[in-house]
Amino acid sequence: MLLQQLVNGLTLGGVYALIALGYTMVYGILGLLNFAHGEIYMIGAYLGIIFLGLLIQWGVATHSLILALAGAFLLAALYCGAYGFTLERIAYRPLRHSHRLAPLISAIGMSIFLQNYVMLAQGSADKVFPHVLPSGGVMLGQTPVSYLQLFILVTSVALMAGLHFFVKRTKLGKAMRATAQDHRMAGLLGINTNQVISATFIIGSVLAAAAGVMIAMYYGLVNFFIGYMAGIKAFTAAVLGGIGHIGGAMLGGFLLGLMESLGAGYLSSEYKDVFAFLILIVVLIVRPTGLLGERQRERV
Amino acid sequence: MMLRVAGALMLAVMASGCPSKQPDVIRIAVAGPMTGDQSKQGNDLKNGVELAVAEWNDAGGLLGKRIELMVGDDQHDPKQAVAVANKFVNSGVVGVVGHWNSSASIPASEVYHRAEIPMITPASTNPQVTDRGYVNVFRVCGRDDQQGRVAARFVVEKLQAKRVAVLHDKTTYGQGLAGEFTRALDELGGGRVEVVYATGIIQGDKDFRGVLTTMKSKNPDLFFFGGIYPEGGLLIKQAREAGLALPMVSGDGVIDPVFVQIAGGAAEGTYLTFSPDTTKLPGAQAALAKYRQRYGEPGPYSFYAYDAAQVLLEGIKRAGAVNGFAVSQAIHTMTHDGITGRLQFDAKGDLLTTQYVVWVTRGGTFEEYWKPGA
Repeated sequence: MLLQQLVNGLTLGGVYALIALGYTMVYGILGLLNFAHGEIYMIGAYLGIIFLGLLIQWGVATHSLILALAGAFLLAALYCGAYGFTLERIAYRPLRHSHRLAPLISAIGMSIFLQNYVMLAQGSADKVFPHVLPSGGVMLGQTPVSYLQLFILVTSVALMAGLHFFVKRTKLGKAMRATAQDHRMAGLLGINTNQVISATFIIGSVLAAAAGVMIAMYYGLVNFFIGYMAGIKAFTAAVLGGIGHIGGAMLGGFLLGLMESLGAGYLSSEYKDVFAFLILIVVLIVRPTGLLGERQRERV
Repeated sequence: MMLRVAGALMLAVMASGCPSKQPDVIRIAVAGPMTGDQSKQGNDLKNGVELAVAEWNDAGGLLGKRIELMVGDDQHDPKQAVAVANKFVNSGVVGVVGHWNSSASIPASEVYHRAEIPMITPASTNPQVTDRGYVNVFRVCGRDDQQGRVAARFVVEKLQAKRVAVLHDKTTYGQGLAGEFTRALDELGGGRVEVVYATGIIQGDKDFRGVLTTMKSKNPDLFFFGGIYPEGGLLIKQAREAGLALPMVSGDGVIDPVFVQIAGGAAEGTYLTFSPDTTKLPGAQAALAKYRQRYGEPGPYSFYAYDAAQVLLEGIKRAGAVNGFAVSQAIHTMTHDGITGRLQFDAKGDLLTTQYVVWVTRGGTFEEYWKPGA
């Protein structure tokens, strides 16, 4: 049973980590809490269902289910990337040099707007993920692990590894790190910081879209409101790991998933969400920089 | 000048904003979760009442007046239900069909009670809805103490389970039903049936794997769920995915096509307590055909709402006035043969005769399965 709860927790944690990465990357570069990020994840979940439905209608799924799923993932990711890009251009870039609170309020506004936009466009009733996934799984000793859980774990770890490689090894990744360290200096050295910021939003949104599609598959049900709770949970994960720190977001995501799952299993499922917020409060009081975060130097 | 024009405009807006009591119209209302994850049920109610109102209007209206229907959306939220109820009262509504959720019906009924407006719920089964003894509150469905008992008898007599897990969604309805089920199980089981795990889940949550894993470790023969179909569908789907092969027994909150949509193949073999299937009775066919033509396939509560509206309209007709108190009195003394059975109320506003049977999910639809013996 412990092993089963661990698997449940890790699966959930992988999804939290993917969303938390978007929070933390944007915060690392802009010092902005992008509260509309949860809505991007929600839109990703909807798009996954819509595109998969379309691909099924066009007969792709009967040809190859894997192709249809991959197509749904890719299209949802592209679409969400465009959402992230547009979000930054419309809601944050015009406010780049204004008071710190302005973009935060703009983020909350965008979050409310996107939620209501999806509700009006897609209706307020739950959307059901098409029942096309194979059931069953593998046995890990006594513990059954479903294919879906395996898929989510593997995909989220692969995406995180990819991100790590991207940030550490590529030129754009280097530019991102430089921009995060010092905006103006990076700009003086010939980095197009606007482009870097756009890229950060796109990457974060693509990861959120992947998380959204996977959660739609995992739960089988989405509605326009799921981004709110997921956003807060991912924010908690990012703070837990140390906001602005990419490895911290991954660690925080997995830890949060585990604690929630174990808390629901061993303590009380009625207070499942309470655990997440308890963690947020305790971290903010005891160690505001998070597990891996460093003390932020005051910028002169 | 500008100011005077603006002032006049504002007055005009205010005047039009106030509901004017038109003397040639009788206004009744229907309330339920019209939006959100339970919107299917709310719209079933609305359609059922709308159909009844249309029939009366086609036949010349009521007391020589046209019937106008107001629709209220309580979003299955107790606070919203009270706001909707106040809106109805202020709009001069004569009677209300609703609400769907017990947790909405109970607080809303307080408002209707103060205004002496009759309220007939087609679906709220929690005992507290009528146990407060308000003369204006009625229901055309059963009660959870009856329903929970039938579920417990089914579990003991038919399934002969020894170890039972009980889950509920912490709402007035879900927790109440689970409580009645557990009470009846203790009584009927005579110590042979053990509740091995009991806990609440969060309504609106989508991930129940933590609870299900713990439940699995307690090794029950089956589990009972007190709640509504979005969580019910996810519970059984995720239970199957977690390798739990045990059956789910649940109540009338889960019996809806959306439950099967959510759970897919996992819904098969789920047992649900509900009233007997009345749509096959010859008396129901005319209304059924009309309903299908206007709205498509009826939901489980469509005809309860239809019957509730018939009772309300008939009550107004007998009272001969749009006085809420007189209408409540009339409803208490009348008998109406509806689609869902003979509707006659006791002093509390409950039906004199109600019957629960057990349905099973088979081939993606619901069918009657078991009837408690005498």
